[in-house]
Amino acid sequence: MWYNIFKFEIKYRIKRPDTYIFFVFLFLFAFIGVDFIFQGMDFEIIKRNAPITIAKSMAAITGISLAIASMIMGVPILRDFEYNIEALMFVNPIRKRDYLLGRFLGSYAVLLFAFSGMLLGFTVGEFMPWHNPNHLLPFSFLRYLEPFVLIALPIVFFGATVFFVSGFLSRKLIVVYTQAIFIFVLFVLTKSIENEFLQAILDPFSLTTLTDMTEGWSVAERNFQFIPFNGVLLYNKLFWIAIGIVVSMIGYSKFNFNVVGDKTSKKRQQKLSNKSDSLANFKSKVPVFTRQQNFKTQSIQLAQHTMFYFKSILKETSFWTIVLCGIVIIIINSISLGTVYDVDSYPKTYFIVKELQEMSGFFFVIILVFYSGELIWKERTTKLNLIYDATPITSFINLSGKFIGLILIYFVLMLTLVAAGVLFQTANGYYNYELQVYFNGFILELLPILVLYTFMAFFFQVLLNQKFIGVIAILFFLIGNVILGFMGVEHDLLSFGGSTLTFYSDMNGYGHFLRPYLWVKAYWFLFCVIIYIATVVFSVRGTETSLKKRWKLSKYNFTKRLQSASMLILILFLLTGSYVYYNTNILNTYWTNAEEQEYQLGYEQTLKKFEHLPQPKIRAVNLNIELYPNTRAYTSEGYYILKNTSNVIIKEVHVQKLIESNVTLDYVTFEGGAAEDRQYDKYDYFIYKLKKALQPGDTIKMRFKQSFTTKGFEVSDSNPNIVENGSFFTNKNFPTLGYNRKYELSDKDKRAAYKLPIRSSKASLKDTFALQNARSGSDSEGIQLEMIIGTTLDQTAIAPGKLINQWKKEDRNYFHYKTSQPIVDFYAIVSARYELKEDIWFPQSDTIKQAVALQIYYHKGHDYNLNRMMQAMKKSLNYFSANFSPYQYQHFRIMEFPRYAAFAQSFPGTVPFSEAIGFVLDIDDEKDVDMAFYITAHELAHQWFGMQIEAANVQGQHFILETLAQYAAIMVLKQNYPEDKVKQFLALQKETYLEGQLREALQEPALALVENQDYVYYAKGVINMYVLQELIGEAKVNLALKRFLNDWNSFKGPKKVKTRNYATSGDLLRYFKEVTPDSLQHVIKDLFETVTLYKNRTTAASYEKVASSQYNVYLEIETSKYRIDDQGNEISVPINDWIDIGIYGKDVDGNKNLIYLQKHYINKKQTLLEIEVDQQPTNASIDPHNLLMDRDFENNSAYFVEHD
Amino acid sequence: MKLIISNLSKTYANGVKALNKVSLDIPTGMFGLLGPNGAGKSSLMRTLATLQEADEGTITLDNLNVLTHKNEVRKVLGYLPQEFGLYPRISAEMLLNHLAVLKGITKRNERREIVKALLHKTNLYQARTQNLKGFSGGMKQRFGIAQALLSNPKLLIVDEPTAGLDPAERNRFYNLLSELGENTVVILSTHIVDDIKELCTNMAIINQGEVLLKGNPLAVIQQIEGKVYEKAVQKSELEDYKQNYNVISEKLFLGKPILHILSDNNPGNGFKPIEASLEDRYFSEIFGKSLNPINA
Repeated sequence: MWYNIFKFEIKYRIKRPDTYIFFVFLFLFAFIGVDFIFQGMDFEIIKRNAPITIAKSMAAITGISLAIASMIMGVPILRDFEYNIEALMFVNPIRKRDYLLGRFLGSYAVLLFAFSGMLLGFTVGEFMPWHNPNHLLPFSFLRYLEPFVLIALPIVFFGATVFFVSGFLSRKLIVVYTQAIFIFVLFVLTKSIENEFLQAILDPFSLTTLTDMTEGWSVAERNFQFIPFNGVLLYNKLFWIAIGIVVSMIGYSKFNFNVVGDKTSKKRQQKLSNKSDSLANFKSKVPVFTRQQNFKTQSIQLAQHTMFYFKSILKETSFWTIVLCGIVIIIINSISLGTVYDVDSYPKTYFIVKELQEMSGFFFVIILVFYSGELIWKERTTKLNLIYDATPITSFINLSGKFIGLILIYFVLMLTLVAAGVLFQTANGYYNYELQVYFNGFILELLPILVLYTFMAFFFQVLLNQKFIGVIAILFFLIGNVILGFMGVEHDLLSFGGSTLTFYSDMNGYGHFLRPYLWVKAYWFLFCVIIYIATVVFSVRGTETSLKKRWKLSKYNFTKRLQSASMLILILFLLTGSYVYYNTNILNTYWTNAEEQEYQLGYEQTLKKFEHLPQPKIRAVNLNIELYPNTRAYTSEGYYILKNTSNVIIKEVHVQKLIESNVTLDYVTFEGGAAEDRQYDKYDYFIYKLKKALQPGDTIKMRFKQSFTTKGFEVSDSNPNIVENGSFFTNKNFPTLGYNRKYELSDKDKRAAYKLPIRSSKASLKDTFALQNARSGSDSEGIQLEMIIGTTLDQTAIAPGKLINQWKKEDRNYFHYKTSQPIVDFYAIVSARYELKEDIWFPQSDTIKQAVALQIYYHKGHDYNLNRMMQAMKKSLNYFSANFSPYQYQHFRIMEFPRYAAFAQSFPGTVPFSEAIGFVLDIDDEKDVDMAFYITAHELAHQWFGMQIEAANVQGQHFILETLAQYAAIMVLKQNYPEDKVKQFLALQKETYLEGQLREALQEPALALVENQDYVYYAKGVINMYVLQELIGEAKVNLALKRFLNDWNSFKGPKKVKTRNYATSGDLLRYFKEVTPDSLQHVIKDLFETVTLYKNRTTAASYEKVASSQYNVYLEIETSKYRIDDQGNEISVPINDWIDIGIYGKDVDGNKNLIYLQKHYINKKQTLLEIEVDQQPTNASIDPHNLLMDRDFENNSAYFVEHD
Repeated sequence: MKLIISNLSKTYANGVKALNKVSLDIPTGMFGLLGPNGAGKSSLMRTLATLQEADEGTITLDNLNVLTHKNEVRKVLGYLPQEFGLYPRISAEMLLNHLAVLKGITKRNERREIVKALLHKTNLYQARTQNLKGFSGGMKQRFGIAQALLSNPKLLIVDEPTAGLDPAERNRFYNLLSELGENTVVILSTHIVDDIKELCTNMAIINQGEVLLKGNPLAVIQQIEGKVYEKAVQKSELEDYKQNYNVISEKLFLGKPILHILSDNNPGNGFKPIEASLEDRYFSEIFGKSLNPINA
């Protein structure tokens, strides 16, 4: 019997178009699956079709597509209820078992068919010509089949059972639509589980599971090892399959094979009170009404209609389920508040709004997609449509009522979210709610895009005239838009809806980004209104649904009024579009990606020949800068003093203007005159043939004027540096000399496509030209800087140097800065409305007792961490001046700038510091590391490493600049904070390193050869420096650095002067080696010169109690050390190291506590240790602070067994 | 007020010919449309109610082209479809109120009065705050009637309005209709022949999309007066009779078939002449072998 039902189900489904749509959907999704899931991933090392890549992509896509499982599995029983044929079905002599089993298996077979589209899509996708063959392993179908069977199918089974059961138990279509979300919520929930093992088991999509089980796999394993079906993965799958089985059993027993017997029938009986009216009432006349058909009546109709639909959705439990679900997600999802190094910020409204937007986005999409369908189909679903359609309401008002009703629903959700946000803030003791920021975040940023997509959803629903296909269409439209964006359709006039609004900054609000945003939204709104008129004209009224018939009818529906309205809107649309185009493409230059690449290619091919042409160096800069923040403009006029420091005669000076269309170089003149050669105009590269050639050692004055003007507006990504409040730009904006490497095409694959030679991001250590440069396009060897900056009356402008004068003129503020000693050719100008906090630091042990003015220029209200930053400045100045060399300036300034970028950057005596990374951090000294302190210390350290000593622009440059700044900062942290804060910081760095290392496209370089890998020079760097100072002593390291700073000082270091080279990592390491005892020399090699890794493991741990407070601990440890060579091979090296051994016990409160920590000398693979401790040990660990580069830390520790 | 249908044809996408050159002149007053299931009654009524297109032909309401000026027609239209549903989770009053808005009754006071009056008229006033989910078939039908009467229709189209009503309710409804006065075109479809006889001044019989007969019910009966004969027969004889006589209907009376036949002359053989009814005329049109073309 069940077989017949099964067959019936299959036959029914075969005829349904959605079966094939699902298949095609999954096929297409899988087709781009890997690229979709691993967006932006480089498959150089871990290949695109490695088993782990495929497994993760499949798991993710299966998870995302579970909604399809819901739509297939949720409906088979529900369908009988929907069509009211359950009575017909259930009176038949079918047994419950056969009925359920048949329906389930039939639907499940269809589901498997749909998901086979995924398998096929993945497989076929591999052969697409656009994949880089270097990113692929040889094809093997098994690599797809295995994860499909092991990973995807169990998820599908679980989903199928749960959806099937909840579908027939709830008998609600909306449950079918939304239950996949719940699984998704569950998935998100598991992310917050701390216990990794539990998390791996409970993740319904097995993503965490896969990550967990492949942790510590080598590259080769990741590429070739099939996913083993054991361990956590096996448990994970068993767990979810078991859940599926349990759910089916519950469902089976709960399923009632009766039609009635539910609550409604009782209600109905009660309600059938049917008293008759008196005859008098019956005889009453129906009043005659006066028909008016004017604007007023239509407005009333629209308003009433809108409220009707609005209320109808409010009555839906499904809506509130979605709202509730959204709130739950927000509550459980720890809100990330501009978190920097694990430290949350204060719950400022803009953080909350961003989080709320991100987390609620999915729910808005669900509401949009499903309720637009529900509303369009509302009358037809209840079969009220014939009555409706025969009323004289215009289709326009009818649809608009539904449309606006749905928009009001968005408002309800938004209000709920705002309420949740305000509650969250209150709960966190933050009462500055900034309701206008909430308003902006939802009404300005989110609502427009929702409105636009709702228009499209209505259009698809009406045009396609099938609710389900309409839903699929709008989803495709959504996804298609994203894909088009990837394919390079990016211009706001082409990409539907335009781009999002740049985030809100306390300092600058939405700044100048708002205007283009609003224009673009207006443009798309008008576009959608035209679409909407088409929607109205083609809307179904009555029983004619075929497109052909509706086309015929459209001429009657397209009334004169609508015609003239469409004409008007079309004209407005074209005008708006033209205005935007005029602004973005005519007033400003718009480059497509392809054009930009062509330009970069041309730049390199045309001008590369000048790269090594000797050019004079800038020795002095004298500028008058007039800043006009309100109009986003500046002029900069003045001169450079250039000196020929080479030993050849220089006949021509090559000037490179900043390549940006709103920057103009108004004039350039040379003392003694020069002829201008403009043949490279296209690249803003001008050659000046000097009338009088520049002899070695001679100087020449170059005068110029540069202007930045804002014309109209640009597409979304316009310059965030010159803004209304909080301008911040560097001297890289001013003319530079000679070829600029930064304009070259840097993407490796694109370079290969254009057949350009491989470009390393840093020159090699052997590049003698690069050794003489401290930065890309460097054209100086230290400058004297003098600058007068004018800005608006309410703003303060800041640049390096001593403020020697300050005045007001013509309602403007002027500031005159001048340096009293040479500085590196790297300076920034900032201007904003600032509050100022000041203090003074006196050197403690210096012979020259010159005070240093400490200043923090901050945005009003951002005063949370000023004291921490001030402390950091003083403590750092103490430490650095005592241990390295004296501080060179009489001032140190921190200036806050808008959060368009999230960094702090050191310039001579000045540090622009983003509002995003320290000013609003909510530092809890109990649980957080004081990152405001640390970042300040790090930036201050750059006054030594970067300002006193520059590093040659070659491999290892950031080892000197950043790693040493990290070292200096952690030493200050160590001096001022408890040990565990330092360890907490280092543990976080270790995580950052491991994450970065996983994303690495090439081989991880040694620190001494590091290029742009920040996970190496920041994260690994600070750990290795910490290890070095533990091994050879902090004083020794500082001594080495002191010598290094002295010898290689950029301006007066004897070695710098002698060689004319900047310092390299090799130079630095020589100083380290000098202070390192012979027995530890190899450590330098391990830490800095090679990528050396450890595999440490505690294989056995036991102890015996000797006396009341004497325990003998026996540890069997396994230690091995290996290096990764250029090809990524592991090469074993003998171990010969002092390694931390830690033993944990419990303190009086029962907390885990290190009771023993000593370095032990280890020189063989297996070592037996016998240690005496004075309290009962619980577990032991090699390298308990995880400072050695061991990729699998878990197995370092072991719990004890007690000896008999 | 006059509704003129001429040469109206409609073929559905699946090839079914729903209307075939239908021409009718319908004056004010009650007009009955009689025909078996699938005859094309509902198709015709939907077309009149601006909800369906015709392939050919025209419909005019006075000077208004119904097929092209739909919204003008809808302003004077009341329509009760044969089958319809109601939003389950709102009350009768709310939905009627909402439909009144759609019909253009935008003044709140007016609307309230009209809705109240109609709820009284359709005997739903007591149940006005109940959710429609709890409505019985009859109540639902009465609600349908109430909404059709909103906005004083000039053209009222009611498709099988009395289905599901008990006899008392049915009477009430007919009273309502007859009250509508003389300047409204009321088109009523039914397969209860008596309804038409009692109510309608004009009628048409349609089958398979074609108008078989149109005219005044009494005149229509008049045409077969004296030609209808009746006889009770045995079941076993049924087939013989069917072959030999123009049988227009067979009924069971106390378990025995009773035949009605149509014959110009007295057929004898135990057949008794009876008074012709509209039902006889109807069945003769639908099932009978036509004698000679009869025109009303």
